[in-house]
Amino acid sequence: MSIQDELKSAITAALPDVSCVVGWGAGPEPLRAAPLFIRGEADLEGFSAGFLSVNNPALYLPSLKGSKVGVVVKGCDARSVGQLAAETLIKREEVHVIGYPCRGVIDVDKVAAKLAGACETGEVAALREDGDDVLLNTPKGEVRLAKKDITADKCGRCAFPNAGNADVFVGERCAPVVTEDGYADIADFEARGLDELKAFWEQEMSRCIRCYACRNACPLCVCRDQCVAMSREPHWLSQGDGVRDKLFFQIIHAVHLSGRCTGCGECERACPLGIPVLKLKRALSRRVEKLFGYKAGGGDTPPLLTFLVEEPTIKERDWK
Amino acid sequence: MSEQTGATAARPVYKAGTRNPYLPMPAKVIEVITETPTIKTFRVVLEDEQLMRDFTFEPGQVGQLSMFGVGESTFVINSPPTRKEYLQFSVMRAGENTTALHSLQAGDTVGVRAPLGNCFPYEKMKGKDIVFIGGGIGMAPLRTLLLFMLDNRKDYGKIRLLYGARSPQDMAFSSELPDWFGRRDLECTLTIDREAEGWQHKVGLIPNVLLEMNPDPNNCVAVTCGPPIMIKFTLQALEKLKFAPEQIYTTLEKRMKCGIGICGRCNIGDKYVCIDGPVFSMAELNAMPNEL
Amino acid sequence: MSAENVKKFISFDALPGFLARAAEKNAVYVPRREGNAVVYRSFKAGDEAELGVRPTESCKHVVFPRGEELFSFAREADKEEPGKRRLVLTEASEPGAAVVFGALSCDARGFLAFDPVYNGSGTGGTAKDSYYLRRRNRTLIVVKACKNALNTCFCNWVGGGPASPQGADVLAVEAEQGLVLDILSGEGTAFTESLPAASEAQLAAAAAAVKAAEDSLPKAADVSAAPASLAALFSSAEFWNKESAHCLYCGACTYLCPTCYCFNITDESDGLTGVRLRSWDNCMSPLFTLEASGHNPRPNKADRLKNRVGHKFSYYPSLHSGRFSCCGCGRCIKSCPSSVDIRKIVLDAVKEAANV
Repeated sequence: MSIQDELKSAITAALPDVSCVVGWGAGPEPLRAAPLFIRGEADLEGFSAGFLSVNNPALYLPSLKGSKVGVVVKGCDARSVGQLAAETLIKREEVHVIGYPCRGVIDVDKVAAKLAGACETGEVAALREDGDDVLLNTPKGEVRLAKKDITADKCGRCAFPNAGNADVFVGERCAPVVTEDGYADIADFEARGLDELKAFWEQEMSRCIRCYACRNACPLCVCRDQCVAMSREPHWLSQGDGVRDKLFFQIIHAVHLSGRCTGCGECERACPLGIPVLKLKRALSRRVEKLFGYKAGGGDTPPLLTFLVEEPTIKERDWK
Repeated sequence: MSEQTGATAARPVYKAGTRNPYLPMPAKVIEVITETPTIKTFRVVLEDEQLMRDFTFEPGQVGQLSMFGVGESTFVINSPPTRKEYLQFSVMRAGENTTALHSLQAGDTVGVRAPLGNCFPYEKMKGKDIVFIGGGIGMAPLRTLLLFMLDNRKDYGKIRLLYGARSPQDMAFSSELPDWFGRRDLECTLTIDREAEGWQHKVGLIPNVLLEMNPDPNNCVAVTCGPPIMIKFTLQALEKLKFAPEQIYTTLEKRMKCGIGICGRCNIGDKYVCIDGPVFSMAELNAMPNEL
Repeated sequence: MSAENVKKFISFDALPGFLARAAEKNAVYVPRREGNAVVYRSFKAGDEAELGVRPTESCKHVVFPRGEELFSFAREADKEEPGKRRLVLTEASEPGAAVVFGALSCDARGFLAFDPVYNGSGTGGTAKDSYYLRRRNRTLIVVKACKNALNTCFCNWVGGGPASPQGADVLAVEAEQGLVLDILSGEGTAFTESLPAASEAQLAAAAAAVKAAEDSLPKAADVSAAPASLAALFSSAEFWNKESAHCLYCGACTYLCPTCYCFNITDESDGLTGVRLRSWDNCMSPLFTLEASGHNPRPNKADRLKNRVGHKFSYYPSLHSGRFSCCGCGRCIKSCPSSVDIRKIVLDAVKEAANV
């Protein structure tokens, strides 16, 4: 049985006990899947897990609290589930976790770079996987790309490709890409001086449209509906179009996530303007790892949360 | 623009053809009345004397009050257009701007953008009996129409007011109540939710007292405003009393910003509360999506 | 053909110089590649305009800035009454003229959805938004026609096309290593005055390019039933919960949309001085309709997505002669982090409403 069929069987088996299973289905165009909410066997038809399973389905779990739900996860998504449970943002026993071995997911921006000059990714009429390659139908003919060249950066430093905390795991566990996250991706970034970094962020953040896709795509952002980015009480940020406020928000978001961010990278992927906001979180994760020997997502309580698990002033459980 | 479905007056014309519609008119606070622990009434005059002289509005229209540096919020102009020495707004403390407004003292400056929105269809109400049913701060929009009608008394039939609040302390406009009671051309009924020492009026929820009053729906119009739960049961009571939806008017609140039908947040379906409202008949509300 | 209707031509080689000269007079916004995005930037001599890849954002911020001062306020010391302060309001200064070079056809049509709201004609009132109108009147739009459709494009569903001239001052069609320019307004005539007329061969190539672009679009779906269908489904929580399940309720769709025009007004103050600011706002945010009392008429993302789709395909058309407030650019689909597809929602609604 193929992994797809095994996953479908696992979902079918789970359906009687859950209100829905969150996975992936067909998206609006060949390079993109969409999160799929499977409520009955009829919804299974469109289900598919694999190279296009980019979205982190753990994002939806806090909003589905109160009834048992299923979720199909990649290794990185499973880290988010673990972190949500560790922070009691979800009840682990309310989630039926179905894992499978993930061999990396697509980065559409990398495809765009490969196709640059020939066509846009939005012109790709079909995608077909062929072993380690993908074949794209483009207006300029068929294009073959190696998956490794168009795989998300986070997959290149993946130490957890197999959902460690799965209730059901289908398929053969695959070997991690690395055993230790060396934070090589931010080494160059961290070597830069403060002035250089300031200039870098001012340039990057000047594209920000304040849509907060970064925030809302983050499975661990708990106070999005009361976010200081928009609130008047407290009135910390102006609603102006200035870079200062935009960067200020990113710093607040990153600090809120220090010791909590599992590096799923959804913030950066969600940004329509391609601002590399994950770098800020990675820089803090590296420090937390060094300081507390703590890696978010493993299921232990984060070091910065041990003094008070529930902030009485943050309505963190009510977002819809 | 779709046709007006009910009896509300035509859309108002914000008299801003020559003015920047976002620029408030500075106004001086001339008097502050503490109505209840959470409600204050502000009487203001526009600083520009010419603007104040020329200022006209219709009963039920609203204005935006600005606290510069904090923001703007919408309130009904609850003084009637027949009394022009000042514009009166009553403000219940709820959020950032209303809290700031409560700090105002006589002599302070606020910004006013007004008049905005539509008004009560007082022309269509001529010759009819009127029942006002106000709850809490919901008395404010009724006050403007009530006083307007009292100032044009011969145009209207029997006028009755049922005004309720949680407790005697929560009753706004209490300084005016003796005057209203003293009038022979106004039948006034007050009620509070629970017994209180020294209270000489009714005790009971507004809808129940209304049923007791048993107003005759024949040639009668009901005008009501108050908290959502009160409105809900008042409408049921009016239905029981055989008031048709066309005979019932209310005025809505929504989060508003521009007040002139542009910024897009106060819509209920294709209606904008800031320009198609705030006054709606029940018949109109029944035809709109249920998104209050 | 009258002299005004003569089409002009500019070669790609000559374009940077032409834009540089234009930028000496006005702010000229061109699409520029930055990282993985293409955004409109103020053109400076030496810059390269990205006319091949469709911009990530629309150019609406040129006319409708993300943050715009309505007026400033100050409490100045009163000379006559020392110790007292006098309120001084100062209206924002007049903006300068601007050119957008390389807007998409759908972007130019987007402003046509703004216009009847901001000039008061569509709302029955006479409130004119002077801030919008003065920028709108001073912005010249040069549309660069699309060569083909993207997967997410559906301009032909809502009355547009890859080379639609609506809303444009100049329509540029790529042909023979340059652009054939169709001049559509007096301002467009002045802007292109220095350029030579296009040759017959260039005109023929441009016409062929337009034809090819139009042919690349799949047949338009019939969405004429959308206004009634969406109205009929207003109370169908099940439908909207399902359609919105994967939505993150961020503002990407709204802020990239050429027709989304809603805004917030906030005071941004620094003690005695400050500004009243108009900034982009979006109906997907729970704060959009949250009232001071704590009541929210749209507490769930399903309510909010319903409003967004309903506004574009039902409420707006009922107020504005049937016109949709959607130009079919597909940015909301293309850039949605969770792959929400407004086309699917509208078609599902039409189908669902037909079944009930």
